[in-house]
Amino acid sequence: MTFGRNVLLADRRRFSVCIAWLALLLLCPASSHAYAGPGAGFAVLSSFWALFVAFLYSVYAFLVWPFRQLFRLLRHRNIYAKAQIKRAVILGFDGMDPELTERFIAEGRLPNLAKLRERGTFRKLATTYPAISPVAWSTFMTGVNPGKHNIYDFLARDLGNYLPYLSSAEIKAPKRSLKIGKYNIPLGGPRIKGMRRGIPFWHWLGEAGIFCSVLRVPVTFPPEKFSGVLLSGMCVPDLKGSQGTFCLCTTRTSSDKFREGGVRVPVERTRSSYVSYVPGPENPLGGGSGEELRVKFEIRPDPGKNQARLTVDSETFTLKVGEYSQWIPLKFKAGVGFSAHGICRFYLKEIFPEVEVYVTPVNIDPGRPDLPISHPVTYSIYLEKMFGPYATLGLAEDTWALNEKVLDDEAFLAQCYSNHEDRERMLFDALEKTQQGLCACVFDTTDRVQHMFWRYLEENHPAAREVPRSQRPNVIQDLYGRMDELIGRVMKQIDDQTLLMIVSDHGFKSFARCVNLNAWLHQAGYLALNEGKTESGDWFDDVDWSRTRAYTMGLNGLYLNLKGREREGIVEPGVEAESLKDELRRNLDGLVDPASGRVGITGVFDCDAVYAGPYMENAPDLIVGYGDGYRASWDSVMGKVTSQMFEDNLKAWSGDHCIDPRLVPGVLFCNQKISDEKPAIVDVAPTLLKLFGLALPRYLDGKPWTVGISTSRSVELSSPLVT
Amino acid sequence: MGLHYTVPMGSLGINVPSGIVVGISLIVGLAMVLVFGHTSDQKAIHIAKDRLKAHLLALRLYQDQIQVVLRSYVQIVLATGHYLRLAFRPLLFVIVPITLLIVEVDRYLGSEPVATGQSFLIRARIDNPDLLNQVSLQLPNGLSSTAPAVHEPAEKKIAWRLIADRAGEYAVNLQVADQLFAKRVVVGSGVPRLSPARLRGKFWERFFVSTEPALPANNSVEAIDVQYPAREIAFAGMEWNWVWLFFVLSMAAGFLFKSILGIEI
Repeated sequence: MTFGRNVLLADRRRFSVCIAWLALLLLCPASSHAYAGPGAGFAVLSSFWALFVAFLYSVYAFLVWPFRQLFRLLRHRNIYAKAQIKRAVILGFDGMDPELTERFIAEGRLPNLAKLRERGTFRKLATTYPAISPVAWSTFMTGVNPGKHNIYDFLARDLGNYLPYLSSAEIKAPKRSLKIGKYNIPLGGPRIKGMRRGIPFWHWLGEAGIFCSVLRVPVTFPPEKFSGVLLSGMCVPDLKGSQGTFCLCTTRTSSDKFREGGVRVPVERTRSSYVSYVPGPENPLGGGSGEELRVKFEIRPDPGKNQARLTVDSETFTLKVGEYSQWIPLKFKAGVGFSAHGICRFYLKEIFPEVEVYVTPVNIDPGRPDLPISHPVTYSIYLEKMFGPYATLGLAEDTWALNEKVLDDEAFLAQCYSNHEDRERMLFDALEKTQQGLCACVFDTTDRVQHMFWRYLEENHPAAREVPRSQRPNVIQDLYGRMDELIGRVMKQIDDQTLLMIVSDHGFKSFARCVNLNAWLHQAGYLALNEGKTESGDWFDDVDWSRTRAYTMGLNGLYLNLKGREREGIVEPGVEAESLKDELRRNLDGLVDPASGRVGITGVFDCDAVYAGPYMENAPDLIVGYGDGYRASWDSVMGKVTSQMFEDNLKAWSGDHCIDPRLVPGVLFCNQKISDEKPAIVDVAPTLLKLFGLALPRYLDGKPWTVGISTSRSVELSSPLVT
Repeated sequence: MGLHYTVPMGSLGINVPSGIVVGISLIVGLAMVLVFGHTSDQKAIHIAKDRLKAHLLALRLYQDQIQVVLRSYVQIVLATGHYLRLAFRPLLFVIVPITLLIVEVDRYLGSEPVATGQSFLIRARIDNPDLLNQVSLQLPNGLSSTAPAVHEPAEKKIAWRLIADRAGEYAVNLQVADQLFAKRVVVGSGVPRLSPARLRGKFWERFFVSTEPALPANNSVEAIDVQYPAREIAFAGMEWNWVWLFFVLSMAAGFLFKSILGIEI
């Protein structure tokens, strides 16, 4: 003990002497000795630089601020003069289902939503035809039907070749390039064209000088300019340009390809470790050769500790089996001055006897975005600097990996909630920064988790028959509970003057049985295959278009092979087409599943009746509304004709909403009373414009609700303000 | 680096002092970056810098919202303080060796020797002004006085203006009463190690400016100093004090090496 104390005292003395020595050096230097090397230099310079920039900007801001305010005042007069609210907070929960919500409220699981229902409003919110997220959220933001915003599904079809393309955005190579030898040097960035039409309501708010923070609302890629900040959501591609391609790096040899959404990459053994790579985008210098850029990484398993050490570029990190890494930056080098920047997460699946690592789709790096994912561009950078890297991919929760059993339930949920937490942080930051105006944020977690875990809600879902009732996790109950808890925290952040609205774009139902509509069309004689074929390949391979009158691809659209529209169309527009549509409607409506005796299709809707607008030419001819428990089969979505019309859905993707829209309305909660009994998602935009005191553009399809604002200001929304 | 030190670089037309500064700057830049990398909390520094940038971006993003702007200013100051705190730890590791290095290099590059034929001052400070009349200077061959000694009783100083006939290292003796005190004087060119002053006591001052033994404690001479001309180093078309040149070059080297080594500073 004494020895120990002596050592301690000696250490203390040494420490004191060191401190004294340092203090003397700091206090008594000659002027030429004040500089203590580049480390200190950097520290001082960097911080000085930040302060200097801040100071300069503050001087500029303070000098300019009165003029800006004056300009705003002159331009917008009193922005909020006619407004009934100063701030609106809209929380979008993709796929939150009204029936489940009511059930969980009744069970006491959702106290905050119960409070909102009691003091404000709870209604079912009518969705769009079809009830698909990109369609419904486009209607939410524009206040118009799909005939005016041009989004009918995730996919649209190319009339020239019957192949699909992404309906929301088109990304093309730069217009000009310079060919030098085998290299093709692009001159300029990629061309990105948004396909969604219509004007989001926050554009009008911004025009009026009302600041908006918009986070992760689907179909906002590419971001459009407006007065506010926006981070794009669903439909943002990954670095490969796809909607999410995961990668399974494995020592197992397999010739099986994943149906979609993923690739298998070999892991090779070296003398002391394993090496593999993350596939990236196509080499932009390759001139369309299809050469793929790659980032190699090394795996050093440590079976004793059940972990492995991974090295990617300069990053080295250790992962336990069943653990995710942080977001790791990847730089795909194409040549000097040409590189693509992405981020991904690694998940160590196994180290013995085989080595397997799952890699998330390579997201666009929000700190160095190679494609615009926010407005202004600096907003995604700001969020990255503030909170660290985050998922930017539109469909960031890797449902395909769970479907393909590359991830298990637990790993998938961990990924979902990790992304969700990032978005919560962004939301609360936006709430803090937007004390007046609009703050809108959409959370996808509700949609993805319900898609993948509905199987545990049902007694006899084909995808969970082997899991005993007692072993089924309460994933969806927990999900709703978490969302309710988030809503509670938001309610604490806002005052009585703030309008809080909780909306979902659609509800949810079981997806237990698949309907291959192309098979039905084939068997009923509407779709023909080449001689001798009983099934087609993907995307209508082996379909004889010269004898085909109708076909389907995507989730709900049914198309006539119309002469003059489709390349090989045979159905005459006019009487023949109308007659064929009637015939199809009659034959499909009420279609019974022979195995269960249940109705597989509860409605077929003529698009001429449900849509109106300038983009009708891109719409399907009919919308197929599947019954509860049914949905378009995986093959049918991909334009494949099979011999079986109905089959069990055995995938983890076990709940869905791409059915009869009447069966899957969304939810509407509000902290104020809304007197309308049948609100629809198309009404959200006009309601908000009106609450902020703006005149409504004539082209809107939605009608503003009567909202009883419980503040001193009276509310009068009965006289329409139409420009 | 003695008096007659010559290197082939000189004959090649390369400026020896600037070559030394460049070399030292590169080595120090690399060493400091490595030390910084190993002694700092790299992750925390990365986060602190990112936060700082985020608050700067917030100024721009929310420029019309004065509350947000003001909050961002406060956050910038706080984030800067946090960053400086994180950078302080590696500073503790480098401050002693770097100070020692700078002190030592300054002895070679801070001043240049007196040129042959150029007059210069040698001064003595005596703690008792009454003794100023009893002070004399004994000059070796090669050095001569160009003017009578100048007494400054108010400053307790006496000064002589000298000139050197030829290059060399001389010992000038200061006689006070019956005591002799030597002071080294270097005449010539090159990059010799210089000692501008010889001091009594004052450990820290001696540490920084003198390479000679301390003057005896029990005498009346406080200091003897030689007024060497300050050295200007020609580099990139400009004349530099070596510390400024070292500052610029070591920073540049640091930036270069931090990028290469992937170290966050």
